[in-house]
Amino acid sequence: MKTMGIIFANDGNISALTEKRTMASLPFGGRYRQVDFALSNLAAAGVRHLGIITRYNYQSLLNHIGSGEEWGLELEEGGLEFLTPYAMSTRNNYRGKLESLHYAMDFLTYGDEDEYLIMIDSAVLSNIDLNSVLASHIDSGKDITIVTKTGIANGEKMLDMALKLDDQGNVQDIVVDYAASSEYDASMDIFILSKKWLIQQVKEHIARNLYHMDRDLVLGLWQAGQLSINVYRFKGHVMYNESVEEYFSNSMSLINKEIRHDLFHYNHPVYTKVRDRVPTYYGEDCQIKDCIVADGCMLEGKAEDCIIFRQVTVEEGADVENSIIMNDTVIGKDAEIKYAILDKNVTVRPGARLVGTPSNPIIIKRGETV
Amino acid sequence: MYFQKKRCIAMLLAGGQGSRLKVLTEKTAKPAVPFGGKYRIIDFPLSNCVNSGIDTVGILTQYQPLELNEYIGNGQPWGLNKTHSCAQVLPPYERHDKKSGWYKGTANAIYQNIDFIERFDPDYVVILSGDHIYKMDYAAMVKYHEKNNAACTIAVRNVPLEEASRFGILNTNPDNSIYEFEEKPPKPKSTNASMGIYVFNWKVLHDALVADEEDPNSSNDFGKNIIPSLLNAGHKMMAYPFEGYWKDVGTIDSLWEANMELLGKEPEFNIRGDERSKIYARNDAYPSSYIDGDSKIYNSFIAEGCEVYGTVRHSIISIGCTIGEGALVEDSVVMPGVVIEPGAVVRHAILGENSKVCQNAVVGGAFEPDQAKEISVTAKGAVVEANTVLKPGEML
Repeated sequence: MKTMGIIFANDGNISALTEKRTMASLPFGGRYRQVDFALSNLAAAGVRHLGIITRYNYQSLLNHIGSGEEWGLELEEGGLEFLTPYAMSTRNNYRGKLESLHYAMDFLTYGDEDEYLIMIDSAVLSNIDLNSVLASHIDSGKDITIVTKTGIANGEKMLDMALKLDDQGNVQDIVVDYAASSEYDASMDIFILSKKWLIQQVKEHIARNLYHMDRDLVLGLWQAGQLSINVYRFKGHVMYNESVEEYFSNSMSLINKEIRHDLFHYNHPVYTKVRDRVPTYYGEDCQIKDCIVADGCMLEGKAEDCIIFRQVTVEEGADVENSIIMNDTVIGKDAEIKYAILDKNVTVRPGARLVGTPSNPIIIKRGETV
Repeated sequence: MYFQKKRCIAMLLAGGQGSRLKVLTEKTAKPAVPFGGKYRIIDFPLSNCVNSGIDTVGILTQYQPLELNEYIGNGQPWGLNKTHSCAQVLPPYERHDKKSGWYKGTANAIYQNIDFIERFDPDYVVILSGDHIYKMDYAAMVKYHEKNNAACTIAVRNVPLEEASRFGILNTNPDNSIYEFEEKPPKPKSTNASMGIYVFNWKVLHDALVADEEDPNSSNDFGKNIIPSLLNAGHKMMAYPFEGYWKDVGTIDSLWEANMELLGKEPEFNIRGDERSKIYARNDAYPSSYIDGDSKIYNSFIAEGCEVYGTVRHSIISIGCTIGEGALVEDSVVMPGVVIEPGAVVRHAILGENSKVCQNAVVGGAFEPDQAKEISVTAKGAVVEANTVLKPGEML
């Protein structure tokens, strides 16, 4: 039985960090882009026919994923396909997932051998065994399986979709785009369904000008008593990077051993683009504490509670705390940085001072000099 | 099948046992020995080929080839897996005329693979070995060879006179043409040591290999047989002086030294450098490293996938290692996947891949700079039990 995967690359944006990139290609955790998690999860589950739906700013995503060879997806048959607006049957931007799937109908209907479809978002990060989700879906005999996480809904965080379950796991209530209370499960935006059934549903919905996956297909059909739902509660760690604040605190949480080891299993690695950087050099006088450090860096100054991406330079006397420093950024001598996100290729002049706050970190855009 | 004609291809001799690396090459061919935190020795000649525009490399393997074969795979990490490029592993094989079997010597290894070379109809063949750490532009050497209209060009470097008798020495005229070759001479006449890097006109090499194979007394070796016979036959042979960093890592001491020479603000061997001289390696999917609040790191390399809780000074920590709380690692080379448990002390050691130093164990010791080095070594997968001692110079 074969399974097709669809990754949605563009949902949401978080200020200056996604001005020129998709949520999918947002750098994360020192060496990754957010999409690496969805790609690695799908590849590990044996999915070999995969579409990535993206509507704008996708140059960095194309560059990152390339032929997909790092994930073992560079295949002659099937493999990986980018579904950009130009590659679909319209030049119009789509309004919702169902509409984008409608535009991607050629891709969806290509090859009859794919029985199931896994839909996954790139901004919700986890290391999940999709094969057990698929097994649970098949076992349940239901129309759709929705992967959820408890403990996320808190009455404040806006959720794409939340579900209230009874003790037997039956769905009692569904809310969409709502800050549901803590008794609700948050959807992880991972769905498994039969491909044939979904194609039929997409056609029916678009014919009635309905295009929203969560509101129209899930909520609408369920309310009408036409949808049976299997809920798969994921036990592992999940990160919703839907705001700068969440992105910042989720990045920092990698310093916690349990979270780090949950997200980066030894037996279920997260793959990313290979850059062939040298190992990081720690200088004679560096002081690096509680940091996540990628390869290729030259660290001669001080860094505490930081995420340090590839090929970063921290010069002597520089003092960096509680910050995210992306690829190729150079922090000059004696500079002082607190609560900041420095995007790629930023140059911090010697002696410069940048101080933000935990809820409002300073963001320096790609390529800027400060 | 169509093979594109190549101006130049490379043949990489990777079959040696490297017995002087002792326990480190018990289960691993020397070219597959880890180096510099994330590399293996063979990455250097392979990356040099790619950076020199040589896209066809035959790799001759013989001793313990499993790991080396896996590592090379389809050549993808070096970009040698395209339609008209390859990294082809060439093990010994059986032929109908019995002129086959184990490679008898370096020249015989190439002789047995004449068919592979002829597919590409090359003008030049570069012969390399998988024993050295260096960056070199082979294209410049081929250009020099071509410009001098030579039949064979040998890369040479200046060595101290007192060490010259350990090398093959090339005595040259002022124009760098070679008039004499002496293998490990007791009284060397010059200090031009052969680096074991050759460029041949393929036609000349082909005929020399065939003639050498017919000589029952030959030991089928480039240094001992092919080079002297070409000189005797009056072929034009050139020495190509090379000044950059070059290190034979054939012994425990030299392997340790070469690793240490990567360290420092201005290291003796700067492995960084620009994009055109990048060293490529097969990458494991390790996450970024975690450096704990109680750790201390001085003048060291730490590759990806490490968790460092202890103290690391003047050392190379390779991919996927854990350095436990209160542990101390000093002046050591820690190969991939090593676990050093809390409280352990490691000094002047090479810890083989996936070996383990248990709680409060002690490996190696301190020595003064002018003292003889006594490097302690653990083999792949070895375990130094808790509270035990592996003395300086001991192997496990």
